[in-house]
Amino acid sequence: METNTRRIAILMVLPLVVLFVALTIFPFLFMIGASFTRYNLSEWRAPEFIGLKNYIKIFQDDGVKSSVTFTILLVVIALPIEMILGGFIALFIQNLVGERIVRSALLLPMMVPAVVAGVMWKMLFNFEYGPVNYLLSLFGVQKLSWLGDIGYSRLAIIIMDIWQWTPFIFLILYAGLQTIPQDFIEAAKVDGANRWQILRNVELPMLQSLVSITLILRLIDILKLFDTIYMTTFGGPGYATHSFSFYIYKVSLSFGWDVGYGSALSLVLLAVITILTNILINRLRLWEILEV
Amino acid sequence: MTILKISLKWMVLLLILIFFLFPIYWLVITAFKPSQEWFTWPPTVIPHRITVENFTGGGGGFYGSLTTSIENITPYLRNSIVVALITSIISTIIAALGAYSIARFKTGGRRLISWIVSIRMLPPIASALPLYLFFKNLRILDTWWSLILIYLVFTTPFSTWVLISFFKDIPKELDEAAYVDGASMWQTFIHIVLPLSAPGLAAMATLAFILCWGEFLLALILTNSAAAQTLPVYLGRYITGWRIAWGPLAAAGIITMGPAVIFSFVAQRYLLRGLTFGAVKY
Repeated sequence: METNTRRIAILMVLPLVVLFVALTIFPFLFMIGASFTRYNLSEWRAPEFIGLKNYIKIFQDDGVKSSVTFTILLVVIALPIEMILGGFIALFIQNLVGERIVRSALLLPMMVPAVVAGVMWKMLFNFEYGPVNYLLSLFGVQKLSWLGDIGYSRLAIIIMDIWQWTPFIFLILYAGLQTIPQDFIEAAKVDGANRWQILRNVELPMLQSLVSITLILRLIDILKLFDTIYMTTFGGPGYATHSFSFYIYKVSLSFGWDVGYGSALSLVLLAVITILTNILINRLRLWEILEV
Repeated sequence: MTILKISLKWMVLLLILIFFLFPIYWLVITAFKPSQEWFTWPPTVIPHRITVENFTGGGGGFYGSLTTSIENITPYLRNSIVVALITSIISTIIAALGAYSIARFKTGGRRLISWIVSIRMLPPIASALPLYLFFKNLRILDTWWSLILIYLVFTTPFSTWVLISFFKDIPKELDEAAYVDGASMWQTFIHIVLPLSAPGLAAMATLAFILCWGEFLLALILTNSAAAQTLPVYLGRYITGWRIAWGPLAAAGIITMGPAVIFSFVAQRYLLRGLTFGAVKY
């Protein structure tokens, strides 16, 4: 390539690179430094080097334990329900009257900003006047303290997550199903396969990579979960509904200004997300976008 | 048998639709309910009287409520529009430049591509604290620029990714024909490639706008007054207090939700493509 063209090509990516270096590398280096110090903005004293103490604290902290437990709950309860429900709807609405309308309607929850979703569910789950409790009362169930009880508040966040993210999974799987050549399905039918066998032996294998990308994206999103929790339970009662991001917020910005410990927690979160992202990049061979 | 099967199908469909749409319906009707109907048992699913008091003021509120309408929403609405608009323009420009260079000349190679994906996945909370201190030293805390700068980091990777695949779809022969005619790379980009990719650029600007519009966490941390706070933060204010004024809360919710929902429908094709790194094209 001509050197002049090469130079312009580099100049064109420069704004992008400068932006990312300035706003991500700097915070990253700062956090690495801060994570080894005792540095609390509410204490009015200079940062003091304390070695690995912040990292050791992570393993003894009840807040961390609680937020990890809650994250695991979301992953093992909400995520499978979302996958199954999303997949079910994707199969269900195929060839149904009004397929397009249903698809557009189901897009809505995904597009509502998470804060607004929080507002909606805060009203729906209201103890005294909420429609959810009213619906339950029709079946003779006593009013439930959705946002005040440990078990129910966790369930409430799980329901919100299912509400918001099932449509996303549905759309991905729906789009994926459209790409499967009809010939394959016809061939299976000719061979005498029933609906279930077609799903298991033809459709699912072809959707495999889509399913894995969806899972990884959702895992990362669950780690980042913040807005809906802030608006509804505020992590309560106690530490019951702290997502990992929400706990970092509490430690470093809301209740304390513990920069040192907050940085250590952030780096752990960053490490987990980086691992997941690398799996994603390798799984999907994302760099192939360059070769095509 | 078939009648049973068909009616069962419709029942299931109805249940699905109710579950996913009722929360939105509830927010919308609550915004138009007069204050007497905010708290009733049983809840009124169809309001007896429709009013716009929650938006414009003049409603009664109730004992102990701090807010009766969202008349004072204007500065927050302005902040949201300005921040989202400026971010979406700058981010689309930066992304278009970078994406063209990467798409045509593989600038940065595999490493740059992977880096862009990683940044796209970055948890906002992890950069919030250092940036708070950084911006404090720059004295841009609680200004539009603090939000614009950080939002650029989250929207640009998204746009860059989609635009790379967009530029890839434009035949290389077009560029080469322009080179043969003596155009420089820069001229080719401006006069040939950009006009051809106008729809994609518009979609990316729209999506960047939506991403900024609904962002809450960083706005909450980096701003603290009406000078720069955006709508989601304004919405957060209503949550406090011992009794929440549902009407105005829902009204503010509608205003925060409206543009995001409308624009998402316009750009939905690209939204899904961007969110799944091109794994889904529909």
